[in-house]
Amino acid sequence: MLLQVKELWKSFGGLIAVCDVNLQVNSDEIVSIIGPNGAGKSTLFNLITGHISLDKGAVFFKDRNITSMPPHEISSLGIGRSFQKINIFPRLTSFQNVQVALFSATGLSRSLFSKAKLLLSEKVQDILESVGLADQARTLGGLLAHGDQKRLEIGIALALNPELLLLDEPTQGMSAAETAQTTELIYRLSKSRGIGLAFVEHDMKVVFSISDKIYVMHQGAMIFCGKPEEVRCNEEVQRVYLGKEKDSAAKS
Amino acid sequence: MEEIKDKLELLRGRIPRAILFAIFCAFMIALPALIGKSWLNITVEMLIMALAACSLNLMLGYTGMVSFGPAGLYAVGAYTTGILLAKLGTGIVPAMIAAPIMAAIVGWGVGWICVRRTQVYFALLTLAFAQIIWTIIFEWYPVTGGDDGLVSIPTPDFFFSITNSYYFCLVLVASCIYAIWRIVNSPFGGTLQAIRENPGRVEFIGVNVKRYQLAAFVLSSLFLGVAGSLYCVFSGSAFPDYAHWTKSTDMLVICLLGGIYNFSGPIVGTAVYTILIKTISKHTMQWNLILGVIVVLLVLLMRNGVVGFLSQKLSRHR
Amino acid sequence: MNTVQGISGEPTRLPCETDSEVNPMTLEAALGQMLSGISLGMVWFLIAAGLSIIFGTLKVLNLAHGSIYMLGGFLCYHITSTLSPTPGVFWIALIVAPLLTATVGGFVEVLLLRRIYGQDMIYQYILTFGLILIIGEVCKLVWGVGYNTVAAPWPFQDAVSLFGLAFPRYNLFLIGMGILVFVGLRALIGATGLGGIIRAVTHNREVASALGINVPVVYTGVFMLGCWLAGLAGALMPPMSVVALGADLSVIIDCFIIVVIGGLGSLPGAFLGAIILGLTTAFGLYIIPKLAVAFGFILMIIVLIIRPWGLMGEPD
Repeated sequence: MLLQVKELWKSFGGLIAVCDVNLQVNSDEIVSIIGPNGAGKSTLFNLITGHISLDKGAVFFKDRNITSMPPHEISSLGIGRSFQKINIFPRLTSFQNVQVALFSATGLSRSLFSKAKLLLSEKVQDILESVGLADQARTLGGLLAHGDQKRLEIGIALALNPELLLLDEPTQGMSAAETAQTTELIYRLSKSRGIGLAFVEHDMKVVFSISDKIYVMHQGAMIFCGKPEEVRCNEEVQRVYLGKEKDSAAKS
Repeated sequence: MEEIKDKLELLRGRIPRAILFAIFCAFMIALPALIGKSWLNITVEMLIMALAACSLNLMLGYTGMVSFGPAGLYAVGAYTTGILLAKLGTGIVPAMIAAPIMAAIVGWGVGWICVRRTQVYFALLTLAFAQIIWTIIFEWYPVTGGDDGLVSIPTPDFFFSITNSYYFCLVLVASCIYAIWRIVNSPFGGTLQAIRENPGRVEFIGVNVKRYQLAAFVLSSLFLGVAGSLYCVFSGSAFPDYAHWTKSTDMLVICLLGGIYNFSGPIVGTAVYTILIKTISKHTMQWNLILGVIVVLLVLLMRNGVVGFLSQKLSRHR
Repeated sequence: MNTVQGISGEPTRLPCETDSEVNPMTLEAALGQMLSGISLGMVWFLIAAGLSIIFGTLKVLNLAHGSIYMLGGFLCYHITSTLSPTPGVFWIALIVAPLLTATVGGFVEVLLLRRIYGQDMIYQYILTFGLILIIGEVCKLVWGVGYNTVAAPWPFQDAVSLFGLAFPRYNLFLIGMGILVFVGLRALIGATGLGGIIRAVTHNREVASALGINVPVVYTGVFMLGCWLAGLAGALMPPMSVVALGADLSVIIDCFIIVVIGGLGSLPGAFLGAIILGLTTAFGLYIIPKLAVAFGFILMIIVLIIRPWGLMGEPD
């Protein structure tokens, strides 16, 4: 078992963001987490990766308790992550974006006097190719198209040679074609490199096409977990989604 | 094959730049034969300020840390050398070696506290420390000479000749700037730039951001100490004003004027700033006013400074 | 006249008429110092309140705030000396000067600040620093480099006997004004519709905009309010001290200390911070004048480390 989250609780002031959540990801699994907005999905990721501290519960990575570790230590252990809001380095080129992550992964970040320009360039090119950005190596991150930026995010996460990838809405804002490309990309990455993958998604096509297991969150709690067919038929899940749609229709 | 093509491209881009650089170096070496003593004086001041600005830019342009305290570390360098020379009678070499070491130590202490916070709180912390350094210098009369400062600091006869001083400064400043160049082009430098772009993200590629920010602070302080030390030796004096926060803002303006996102920005900025001040103050007493207007226009119209502006124009033409 | 170089660099009149050797702090002297510190603090509060409100709502740290204060002082001097024989001239200046500084603030916000919102902080600092240079030089051109004085207005011209010491009545008036403005601002921001709008914009600019609030106008208004406060402080200060160049640089540092201690964006914080700094300065000057200046900075550093959002601010 690669990642295990046990009875996680987090509240902000009086608001319970995550309540008693349990989650497991195995190393050959693709797991998706779905749920309406505000269900606590991103918060859950932030808790796992140490960006915010949890109130109760524990997180285990490869049987090691990583609950109170700071983010930079957790990522060194082999967890890569992408973010919901684009989180790249805008004034660096795609090449440099991935390269700086590789520096960290290979312990080169501390090197003061070697010339960075062509260092590790083969590995960087490899990663850029695997996320389909090889021809945009010299483009500044901030100038890439939205979909390309999202893929650059995945590239950065890959540079750390992770065993577990946490992707927060990897196809958000993408066109249908880009979505299909990205879906295929993350499926391929996971299966060919044996990376455990957990991703948050709103696009149900993506979710149902590649997930081995789906977790459904609602108002901070995990209300269901199962294989795609089971989730599709589950009444509570349907109610949560349909109910939320009615509510938001009423508000707007 | 691709790699060879890439390397050829790089060389092709580099040759005109290498020629320009060689011309510049030749010019700097021949300078004393070309210009008069007063201009040489000004050039030495510019060299020292350029070093200070490049040191600041290591934090500002490369790591994204806005500090109001560089003048404090600069003054630590100046006073360390000044006190060692004037009060303790040490030789010039230990006096000048001690300065960056002292500045780095102070920078380490100050920086360790300041990097606990970010953004405006970081800036305010650096301001507070700079003012404390200023106060210590101002009040500690027996050691620093207080408001009177240190004057007539004994320096070796070597420095009586302005040409000697110039070459000394040129060599020292060029070496330090080269060192800073190597640092910013290293993987460490790349990591600093990533921190500037997105500190949160960098945490999540396994980098302890605060440690790197502190390193940038200390390195910056070290080179600022060299600059301060040089100025003390060159001018034979040290005054509390060296530490005042308005001197820090001068350095910030110089960096911004040249362009904080280019390595040569602070150097060009120093030249432009010095020329502006010298020419404006010849014609009018109100150079503060004009400087203020220039600064405002700079922020509104030419945010990337002179070098940034020029390189944008040039890349459009290519 | 007992004047001491205060933390602001300007001579401040201490009300003590004690024997001039160093004597241990008597109760009366302590109380006298306290009142002195508080009245100085009240003026600082007005400036700091403006700075704090501007930062809280616009997220801009206005380095030129001290310059506005200094401008207010010069305007007060100008009005009182130009209209001199007219009775009540000081009160006219007290009303007009802040309005003028608020107008200046309005122009600055609309023409300059608007263009740099949302950009890196370095640009804010450098732009407002440029304003320090411009305003400072303009003051120098118009009013020269000397010290200018403004007499305290009737009925606050003499001293009151408090705790056996002569304490200027004007200083008591300052304390009263400070409290009055504080209460007024609290009422404005806490209890009026206008205040509600300001609070909404401070809290969340996007949401406020979506609710139909004209955010740019609110920004301008808040900036003008901040400059009004600084101008008011500038106009109130001269009878207690002098009007001179250099006040812009020294007072802005004091203000930073105050708003950090009190909490950037918090009005009661600015009040509290101002009182703390005023007292610290007054007592510090009495006890260890040489290092009194550093007390403020040390306090600032301590607060920034332990509780960066200040005593009364809210963590982001």
